[in-house]
Amino acid sequence: MMDLGILSIFTEPSFYLGALRLMVPITLAAIGEIITERSGVVNIGLEGIIMLGALSSVYVGYFTGNLYLALSAGILAGIAVGILHAVISIYLAGDQVVVGVGLNLFAYGIGVITLYLTWGTFANSPIIPKGAQIPKLYGFSPFVPFTIAVGIAAWYIIERTSVGLRLKAVGENPRAADSAGINVFRVRFLATVTGSVLASLGGVFLGLDWLASYTRDISAGRGFIALAMVVFSRWNPIIAVLSGFLFGFLFAVSLSIPSGIVPDQVIWSIPYVATVIVAAGFVAKARAPAALGKPYKRE
Amino acid sequence: MKYWKQIADSFLSLIAGFFVGGIIIWLAGFDPILFYQGLLIGAFGNLYYLMTTLSYAAPLMLTGLSFAIAARASLFNVGAEGQSYLGALAAVSIGAFLAMPNLAHQLLIIIVAFILGGLLGGLAGWLKVSRGVNEVVSTIMLNYLSLYLSNYLFTYQFYDPMRAYKTKDIEATAVLPFVMPGTDLSFSLFLALLVSFLVYVLLWKTPFGYEIRAVGLNPTAASYGGINVRRSMIMSMFISGGVAALAGAFEVMGRFHCMDTELTYIKGYGFDGIAVALIGRNHPIAIIPASILFAMLKTGVQAVQRYTSVGGRTGVPLELGLAVQGVIIVFVALPSIIDMIRRRMR
Amino acid sequence: MKGIRKIYPDGTIALRGVDFSVNRGEIHGLLGENGAGKTTLMNILYGLIPPTSGEIYLRGEKVEIKSPKEAMENGIGMVHQHFMLIPTFSALDNIILGKEPLSGPLTVDRKSARKEIEMLMEETGLKVDLDTAVENLPVGIQQRIEILKMLYKKAEILILDEPTAVLTPIEVKELFSFLRKMRDSGKTIIFITHKLKEVKAIADRVTVLRRGEVVGVRDVKDVEIPELARMMVGRDIKMKIEKKPPSLGEEVLIVRDLWVRDDRGREAVRGLSFSVRSGEIFGIAGVEGNGQSELVEAICGLRKVDRGSIILCGVDVTGMNPMKLYSLGLGHIPEDRHKWGIILDFSVEENAIVGVHRSRKFLNSIGLMNGREIFKWTDKIVKDFNVETMSLKTPARSLSGGNQQKLIVGRELSKSPRVIVASQPTRGLDVAATEYIRDLLLRMRDEGRAILLVSADLDEVMGLSDRMAVMYEGRFTGIVDPERVSEEQVGMMMGGISIGGIS
Repeated sequence: MMDLGILSIFTEPSFYLGALRLMVPITLAAIGEIITERSGVVNIGLEGIIMLGALSSVYVGYFTGNLYLALSAGILAGIAVGILHAVISIYLAGDQVVVGVGLNLFAYGIGVITLYLTWGTFANSPIIPKGAQIPKLYGFSPFVPFTIAVGIAAWYIIERTSVGLRLKAVGENPRAADSAGINVFRVRFLATVTGSVLASLGGVFLGLDWLASYTRDISAGRGFIALAMVVFSRWNPIIAVLSGFLFGFLFAVSLSIPSGIVPDQVIWSIPYVATVIVAAGFVAKARAPAALGKPYKRE
Repeated sequence: MKYWKQIADSFLSLIAGFFVGGIIIWLAGFDPILFYQGLLIGAFGNLYYLMTTLSYAAPLMLTGLSFAIAARASLFNVGAEGQSYLGALAAVSIGAFLAMPNLAHQLLIIIVAFILGGLLGGLAGWLKVSRGVNEVVSTIMLNYLSLYLSNYLFTYQFYDPMRAYKTKDIEATAVLPFVMPGTDLSFSLFLALLVSFLVYVLLWKTPFGYEIRAVGLNPTAASYGGINVRRSMIMSMFISGGVAALAGAFEVMGRFHCMDTELTYIKGYGFDGIAVALIGRNHPIAIIPASILFAMLKTGVQAVQRYTSVGGRTGVPLELGLAVQGVIIVFVALPSIIDMIRRRMR
Repeated sequence: MKGIRKIYPDGTIALRGVDFSVNRGEIHGLLGENGAGKTTLMNILYGLIPPTSGEIYLRGEKVEIKSPKEAMENGIGMVHQHFMLIPTFSALDNIILGKEPLSGPLTVDRKSARKEIEMLMEETGLKVDLDTAVENLPVGIQQRIEILKMLYKKAEILILDEPTAVLTPIEVKELFSFLRKMRDSGKTIIFITHKLKEVKAIADRVTVLRRGEVVGVRDVKDVEIPELARMMVGRDIKMKIEKKPPSLGEEVLIVRDLWVRDDRGREAVRGLSFSVRSGEIFGIAGVEGNGQSELVEAICGLRKVDRGSIILCGVDVTGMNPMKLYSLGLGHIPEDRHKWGIILDFSVEENAIVGVHRSRKFLNSIGLMNGREIFKWTDKIVKDFNVETMSLKTPARSLSGGNQQKLIVGRELSKSPRVIVASQPTRGLDVAATEYIRDLLLRMRDEGRAILLVSADLDEVMGLSDRMAVMYEGRFTGIVDPERVSEEQVGMMMGGISIGGIS
């Protein structure tokens, strides 16, 4: 067998399994944000929501040792934050970007405070009991097929159902949708909360599976990478899944390649460079929903 | 007239923050009064503490100014972290590896640092204006890039073979002298104050700054007035980045005279700067006391543990102090955040 | 509709007790100029706006229509002036939006929808391409899609708001024959327009609205265009504004064969040529939406010119940046002061120098802004123009609308412009401020400046102008002397009939 050197990592099945797991949080968040943005709302707070999803599920998981309670906690966190964002941005017509940034800061702070008050540490929480961790099927996490399924379901809903048609209409021309009898605020509200729940589930995965604990840097920019992925996938959930694989792959490469010819730092920065390139539309520029980011006001 | 209201709001939030912080301390089983006493003494109690507090105010002032400048153009520069790293990079590379006479050496570092940070910020500005990339996303990504770039160069190019994980010390000609030997406070504070003043003048006393503020408040009316909106936005990001870079450069030149390869010495100033800017309502003059407040919490909290160890009980641990610091910051920053959210509602 | 009243929260009275009725199976024209209330009335019928008071009876029964959905359920459909279409959707998706046929729990059954729509297209003769994205289709087709939308949702009463504004003459003919077909098959059509010829051509009966009141209802065959024109525009009291005769100087603003596109890419200004002399007020009247805004924006450097040229004080300024124009002698009082003219969070001082903020007189020797000079400048404006404000440092937001406008006017006039373009200068102002601004404009004219006045308020234009043009579909239908022209003639010009007139 020839010595492939560095490239030998590509022959290890664990590499690919790792890549699959890496794609889960960013893809879930991206799909959620696609739904939200398609309705015309932009949620910069994905990073914070991921953190809160992780935090709430780890917290509950730690004390109850029960997977289902922990999952529910994560989902509830997603709903709560989604409602908060929706109320301020949609009903009160506040600046969506500021709300999102505020969410991020808030989540970071809450995470740090909770870390200390609960576990007396500033770094990592202890590993949660086995009962709360997500079990593996055949060596890989059920979240992976779940993510893929969510992507497909989202695509189907958006393209083939009346719900999706109205969603798209609201994001492109809310006035026309209103005139067609659609409740713009309600559609946006539901889209935002759904997106928030999905992002939160991404965080739940990080907390219950990936690290099985909480740390303050648990998200490490994933929320922002998800934002860029939304643009890259042309707001199409299936392409989001595919680009999730791509980014997962890049992340995996950056984690596995031993230092040698190419310096570590170059490898580590690949996902982030890719994000900038993707967000700038240097690859595959797509059109955003026309009403994105603009609050809707009834005359 | 409206300034008084804003100051009153910030003051009230400060009180509210202290109050809630006190409750947290109490819930954790410690004496809040003792905690705050320790905080104040730790910040200002003696000359050494005072100098230390002021030494932290300098970088915070600069990163705060950075966020504020971009905010005046309605842009979110979350990239002060990465921009400050580039400043440190400039300081280390030019300071340790070039021989130059005094004054010229520091000046060169300052200019290069400003340009490097400015380019990073300006890049994000350009991406926003021409490709529609949200500047929050781009600046955060650029933060990581800057981190890895600096980390790489520090570890492989600028390292000190004698000391692990540190770069080579900069030449004496590149150093910012200490105000008082034995303390951490260097000339950087005065330079930071100077920059604050210059930023104020720039924004309120030059047509260029006037245009930036106009663009931030009403871009349509700005273009009616003949202002080039895109150019103003890019330039504001450039200057914002440049100022943030100075924070990193001054820390190297003033306090440390080197940098650790993981940049932990200056990590966090960028994000803290956002809070400082919010507390200071994005105004350069208000950012000065805001940065001192923040610095005060920073040093105070470090000393609190010792101070609160009375009668054999262990004192308030650092982490709790930091948590309270966070709470206070959130409270004082809140009015500003609410303002910014409301801006859209009008 | 009986006794419909609509009063907006800011006090504007849009409709003063309007009684409006339409018979089944007729085409009913709703005629009026700017601000008459026609669109408002129909928006109430379609459920987009709630009436302040009044009742609606449909087929003899009282109904409450609180949303477009309810209007549609009652068989009312509306095609607005600005189409309510989703640009990226296909025609098919646009038509079924809101009433999607379902196969299974949520899935849209596009197949059966297509069949139904194709049948509809057969019946009505309105053929459209169902699968291309609507944004890539020509405007005439887009309108057909809007109509198909109404019919698909089983509308029996069809409301069309200024439908011919976007059509070519051939398309207008096609639309009219379609409307007749619909009427003959029993549908009821309400046709909002300001175009007199159209009313005569297509309507069976017509209701004329003026300033929120019904002026009259007529059978179209019994009434002629001049009478309609008079009804549309008729003034009981002619506004008396004391004016000195103009002392004319040279032509300081010349517009030659100007073509300007609007945001949708259509030609809003079509080969317009005119000039304004110093010492005169040249007014442009006309129903809004006929290219006036685009014309003003082009002259003031805020919109690209397609073809043609603009000459200001002898210099060709086509395409120049606004700041340059201000330095060459232009003053612009913009249409929407909150959007264009004033920066609400800036102080009075800071607003007073917009457009001249880079001028050397405000800079001191080291290039910094000279606070004293700015103060002097602002102080003069505030005093000369009666701007009520607590101090020069208060934010413009705290000023009343009238004072904000006075500030803007003061600022523009202080630039010593030779040409002033005033667009809707008294819109939204109280009586005192309105009078003040009008006086000001007259004073400027007497001082020898040239003023281009664009206003939707016919009284204002007629009262202030020395010469007045009426703009219709991007062209002038006439340039007249407001003192000598009859209401009828004005109405006709606004409604599309060209009168030679003076030039």
